[in-house]
Amino acid sequence: MRNQGFNWHDPILWAQGLGVSVGVFAASMILGTVIGIFIALCRVYKVPVVAPVLLVISEFLKNSPVLVQLFLVFFGVPVLLQVNITPAEAAIFTLTGNTAAFIAVIAISAIDAIDRGQLEAARSFGHSERSILRKIIAPQALVVAMPALIGLAVNQLQVTSLISAIGVIDLTKVGQILNQRTWQPFIVWTIIGVTYFILSRLLAAAGGRLETRLRRHMDWAGL
Amino acid sequence: MIEIDNLHKKFGDTEVLKGVSLSIAPGEVVSILGASGSGKSTLMRCMNGLAGLNGGSLLIDGLDVSKPRELREIRKRCATVFQHFNLYPHLSVLDNITLAPMDVLGRKKAEVEAEAYALLKQVGLADRADAYPGQLSGGQKQRIGICRALAMQPRYLLLDEVTSALDPEMTGEVLDVLAALARSGTTMIFVTHEIAFAREISSRIVFLDDGVVRADMPTDRFFAEDGGYGDERIARFLAKMRNK
Amino acid sequence: MFWDGFLVTASVSALSIVGSFLIGVIVAFGAVSRRPFLRKAARGYIGLFRNIPFIVQVFFFYFGLPEIGVYIDAFTTGTMALSIAVGAYAADVLRSGIENVDTGVIEAAEVSGLSRFKIYRRIILPIALRVSLRPLGSVFINLVLTTSILSTITLNELTGNAKIVASDTFRPFEVYFFLLLFYCVLTYLLSLLINLWHRRLNRFMRGAE
Ligand SMILES: Nc1ncnc2c1ncn2[C@@H]1O[C@H](COP(=O)(O)OP(=O)(O)O)[C@@H](O)[C@H]1O
Ligand SMILES: [Mg+2]
Repeated sequence: MRNQGFNWHDPILWAQGLGVSVGVFAASMILGTVIGIFIALCRVYKVPVVAPVLLVISEFLKNSPVLVQLFLVFFGVPVLLQVNITPAEAAIFTLTGNTAAFIAVIAISAIDAIDRGQLEAARSFGHSERSILRKIIAPQALVVAMPALIGLAVNQLQVTSLISAIGVIDLTKVGQILNQRTWQPFIVWTIIGVTYFILSRLLAAAGGRLETRLRRHMDWAGL
Repeated sequence: MIEIDNLHKKFGDTEVLKGVSLSIAPGEVVSILGASGSGKSTLMRCMNGLAGLNGGSLLIDGLDVSKPRELREIRKRCATVFQHFNLYPHLSVLDNITLAPMDVLGRKKAEVEAEAYALLKQVGLADRADAYPGQLSGGQKQRIGICRALAMQPRYLLLDEVTSALDPEMTGEVLDVLAALARSGTTMIFVTHEIAFAREISSRIVFLDDGVVRADMPTDRFFAEDGGYGDERIARFLAKMRNK
Repeated sequence: MFWDGFLVTASVSALSIVGSFLIGVIVAFGAVSRRPFLRKAARGYIGLFRNIPFIVQVFFFYFGLPEIGVYIDAFTTGTMALSIAVGAYAADVLRSGIENVDTGVIEAAEVSGLSRFKIYRRIILPIALRVSLRPLGSVFINLVLTTSILSTITLNELTGNAKIVASDTFRPFEVYFFLLLFYCVLTYLLSLLINLWHRRLNRFMRGAE
């Protein structure tokens, strides 16, 4: 199989890999954000037992290699629980947990950054805790958290490359396939690298635009 | 000898110094007065090479500040004390004082340290040699700033509003040190808003107004009715300062 | 077996921390240089290596270098790739540390006659380092975690060894779980060390205004 050149099918392979990478990224980012916010709220409202347990897990996830987490879920969990897990499931599950751990930290510090007096004022007007959360805490915390969220998103995009190690055919795996077939490492890895690079920059640019829009919105609201 | 001839300095399109000429002889204590924004700091920064010139010349002991090689020599002879102290936060008081003498003048550590202790004693901070700047009060920091400058054994000492960042109760302790220095014969050029103090210690007053020297005369004449006081703008400035 | 893996992880980490730090210092000074070319090059370096996944970088070197006749082992390739990649993160941290050094302090050093080089070495770098120590610490902790990726280029460090043990013993869950815990302990110890160092270096901050 060595030294076979590139062929017409390769761009399709590349596009498929790109789709898988972006898909896993988007799925784990969205799910992770939801769970991360849940963890943060448990912490902020000091829910007994749940809060400390989630926090320990989140510390554990932040301080260990994602690659090993992937191995644990893909190779370890099926043996332990006698279930079947596909590489894609393991990838999304692991990256979701990982993203959630970081989102929780960002959310907690963003909520902490909000002026306490405001919340007490809102409570004294008899707003429900739910509406305070939705109308006062969430919008402000989002603006505060934006830079950190953009950084996290760019980072998590890079992290998706690790799912190639458990056999998901993402962009990096496509790189490996092409690398092995064509034996043109410089061309292959440059193309793959440039693809990630452009994706990251686009992501950061989109995040930046969203941030300015949010800020402008806040200014209108007179905050 | 400091010789400034027709010095011009611009920031972008605005000319801040518009042809300043001035000469200062060794041993003189010259105060530079003037409203805020008149260009005093800029003039000082031209003297120690922090700001380049746009025209004219500035020589110190015949050395040209605009020539890098000569500026290096000038900096050995000219020490600066800053308004905001600008001490090295990561170095102890002693190291703040001894760094340049050892490194720039190549003097021996033991010798420089002995001198540093003597200087610290002079300014009443003999026991703070091992402290870090972050642990000192503003007045103490500025006294260390003065020690750091003096450790270079400079021929000329430039001081730019060295007390204006200090609380009133700390201003006195720094001014006392400066007064003692003035009596000791060090050449001092200092920018200040402490008019009474300037009058007490300086032999000459230079009044800067919107980038030009409006008055340059012995202290007595400057404060005399038929001297500087006769100038309407100077009188107004002095009145304003007194009312503050 | 575990111990062998640990030694590899520890030595790759230690060497790469040194390497990435050196690269970080050089690139950071490039990034704040007055020469437009150097600034652009340094900022380009930081942007490039932070926006491409490390695994892609490591494959680029691992498969690419032999093509141009450079035959080095996985250990060397990994150490090099890690130093280059993490160097970009270290450079960014140091750059912001350097940019935040009070200009007044630098001017004081300038007028005292210290040479540019001496100002960088005795004033700017030490101050920047002290304020950058914590963020730099997280960069290095991440480096240690990233060494696990070198198992994909056949380096038998902790993770590479664990893979072998997991398949030999048929107990992947226990093996990987233990490994994760071990990494946690490792990074925790590292963060303790950094805190200690931070406190030592920043003793001058005590009682600061
Ligand atoms: N680095 C600079 N860039 C632009 N303008 C400056 C700069 N430094 C000083 N200026 C301007 O030059 C004028 C004189 O400033 P300065 O010499 O600091 O005055 P003074 O010390 O007498 O208060 C001011 O109008 C100031 O805004
Ligand atoms: Mg000034």
